[in-house]
Amino acid sequence: MSVMPVEFPSFSAPAVPVPGVASLGDIAGPSLSQSVAPASAADGAEFGSMVLDGLDRLEGLTDRADGLAVEAATGNLDNIHDYTIAASEAQVATQLTVALRNKAVEAFNEIMRMQV
Amino acid sequence: MGAFETLRIANTSLGAHQVWLDAIAGNIANVNTVTSTDEEAFRATYVIFDARPDGGVDVDGFAGSDPEGRLVHDPDHPLADEDGYVRAPELDMSSQMGQLVMAQRGFQASVQMTKTAQDTYSAALQIGAK
Repeated sequence: MSVMPVEFPSFSAPAVPVPGVASLGDIAGPSLSQSVAPASAADGAEFGSMVLDGLDRLEGLTDRADGLAVEAATGNLDNIHDYTIAASEAQVATQLTVALRNKAVEAFNEIMRMQV
Repeated sequence: MGAFETLRIANTSLGAHQVWLDAIAGNIANVNTVTSTDEEAFRATYVIFDARPDGGVDVDGFAGSDPEGRLVHDPDHPLADEDGYVRAPELDMSSQMGQLVMAQRGFQASVQMTKTAQDTYSAALQIGAK
């Protein structure tokens, strides 16, 4: 019994442009060619100065909180919230500085563990 | 715009509401303060707020209630005039109590704002933490 070739009807739909939908070729994917600039020797110094700036600001915040704490203790504090907010700022800034330090030390240790 | 902008803005709001609470305290304290009819009545203090252009709120100034006050007939009062009248402040106790609740709730809302800000900062510090 011979099998007769069956001709299937063509289902190829005509390309009907859908308004508002771009064809796949038109969509630009994220460009992967963006290169990361190589680190220069100055970057290390910038990180150091950044940490130092952060420490200076932290010192200013803690000094402010300490001054307001003394005012509270001596009864010269006008607004309670002035002290509590200054203390909160100092606390968060300290946490941020410690987190930065931990990250820096972690990165240093990671490099020191590198096999040569 | 510093890292602690939310805290700074909340601080301005706390200060403004503190001033408002102080003003209400003064008004309620003087709700029974009467003067003789040839003097001005106690003037209730109303705080005027103003939005700061850099975010937050400022106390722009104060307004006082009508110095005319209300004439109250109280012949036994030592300050009463010959017709038996004294001058009571133009001050509504129930309105002051309503404002007291508003000022307190506003203050509490700002305190909640500082808590939320701190939680947010703490969450940001948790990024990448082990």
